[in-house]
Amino acid sequence: MQTPGREIFRKYTTEETFELIKEYDTVAQMWAHCAENYADRTAIIDEGTEYSFARLDADVSRFRSAVAAALPGLTGARIGIFAPNSYDFVKAFLAVTTLGHTAVVLPPQLPPPAVAGCAAKFGLKALVCYPGPAAESVGCPCVDISSLPDAPTPAAECRAETPCVIMMTGGTTGKSKGALLSNGAVLQGTVNGCYGYRDVFGQRYLLILPLSHVFGLIRNLMTSLYTGSTLIVCRNNKDMFKDIAVYKPTILVMVPALAEMALMLSKKFGRNMLGDSLKYIICGAAAVSPYLVSEYHKLGVALFPGYGLTESANLVSGNPEMMIRPESVGLMYPHQEYKVVDGELWLRGANMLLDYVGEPEAAYTPDGWFRTGDLVRFDEDGFLYIVGRIKEIIVLSNGENVSPAEVEAHFNAVSLIQDSQVFEDVAENGAHILALEVVPRVTEIAGLAPEEAGRRIMEALQKVNKELPAYQQVQRITIRQSDFERTPSMKIVRYKKCN
Amino acid sequence: MQLSRTQIIEKLKEILISADERNGALAARAEESASLRGDFGFSSVNMLYLVIAIEESFGIEFDDVSMSDFETLGDVVDYIAGKLG
Repeated sequence: MQTPGREIFRKYTTEETFELIKEYDTVAQMWAHCAENYADRTAIIDEGTEYSFARLDADVSRFRSAVAAALPGLTGARIGIFAPNSYDFVKAFLAVTTLGHTAVVLPPQLPPPAVAGCAAKFGLKALVCYPGPAAESVGCPCVDISSLPDAPTPAAECRAETPCVIMMTGGTTGKSKGALLSNGAVLQGTVNGCYGYRDVFGQRYLLILPLSHVFGLIRNLMTSLYTGSTLIVCRNNKDMFKDIAVYKPTILVMVPALAEMALMLSKKFGRNMLGDSLKYIICGAAAVSPYLVSEYHKLGVALFPGYGLTESANLVSGNPEMMIRPESVGLMYPHQEYKVVDGELWLRGANMLLDYVGEPEAAYTPDGWFRTGDLVRFDEDGFLYIVGRIKEIIVLSNGENVSPAEVEAHFNAVSLIQDSQVFEDVAENGAHILALEVVPRVTEIAGLAPEEAGRRIMEALQKVNKELPAYQQVQRITIRQSDFERTPSMKIVRYKKCN
Repeated sequence: MQLSRTQIIEKLKEILISADERNGALAARAEESASLRGDFGFSSVNMLYLVIAIEESFGIEFDDVSMSDFETLGDVVDYIAGKLG
């Protein structure tokens, strides 16, 4: 099936704003439009310095000269970018991609040997980074990311299918892979971030997520640039509330764990730590609790749960303003084809990856579909719901298949519960059982004696458990004393106790 | 603001409990050797909460340190005492 066209999003914004949302084929085209139309606006604020779109454009043009000098005569090369979130990163990313090269975005926490490993795996022709151990050991030419030659170099001709960026997948349940995204895919993901809400252009974004994550690079950075908005770089997450107080962002792009933490701090200190200017929180990269939607609504902030993958240039679906369905991940964005096969969502379309790089398996089925691994359902209005992941499916001894995420969703609906994990475990007698661990929601049990809190939680969970079909009922419930282990992008690391 | 080590620990206890009520029993014993990750079971998100809440409550600012530099409750107390002193 084809996803509905962009027209379904018209009603969620003004006519004028909707008509401003144009589609481009390449980063170079988009950037030329931004540099021309938003020249005097502030594009980036980093460490207190404001960079206008015109200044950024001039610096991008000069940095292209540094890249071109390192790779004379070469086009379409893979060039690593290894740097923390910064103005320099933005400048380097735009320079590399508008020259027609492919940016390979390496997570800044990688140790030097891992950077060298990526350079070999992805066939890097150069690495853009700050001088240091990684540059010394990488084994290919390095370009100092802070350098700025005097002479400008113009953008190169690119097309929608020209490779643009290789992003690492999350690897929550498997090993991390490099997903190659075309210019067209990156731009589709960028434009999709504009649909479904009223105030789109000329906003203020705070950059909290790493730019090595597709949610940070595309939804946070690229959509901010595309909409002539200002992106404030938060260099250290511990300073996010200070940055919020100073720069008053209107949109935050966050993972649920951070949104939950901001809520806890607001409750502890008796004030909205996210500031009065904040209108929207774009929330994704992990399951979003409906509790967050309702609590932020009380603060006057619309929190939009959405769904995306690294392989889909981030955005597949999102909730529209005024029609948020807290349990859903929203409406499918335009220009995608989809089908549901045995409950699993299959995708193809303008926003999908070209292929994995350096992996033995192909990204697509022989007839061109990408299998997301996510088990889904749609409601009668076309809203998408994630009910589990295929790789996480537990096959019980009686042959029943249990999707942990589907069962967890029932327990997560209890307001006393912040997070839960359903997994297969072994009982003392050796039998395989379905077990549940939960992390209580601190703000909901505040003031209760520990025994009383435990009793209430257990009662609520038992009630939910009894209402589940027999094969989904858990046999053991444990209330955790601490959070689950999390990945660098703050997703819960799933137990694998019976593999 | 001059605070004794005992006063710092008392304030820190409040933060630990606000981060998670279940820290109450462990925080009450105020064992400075208690490990933030091993005993309190703090994740990276909890650690971030701790830093921000300490800055707000004590009126101090952490330098560019990583929370992984703090192994135990005592390490955090030392750091706060150093900042206040």
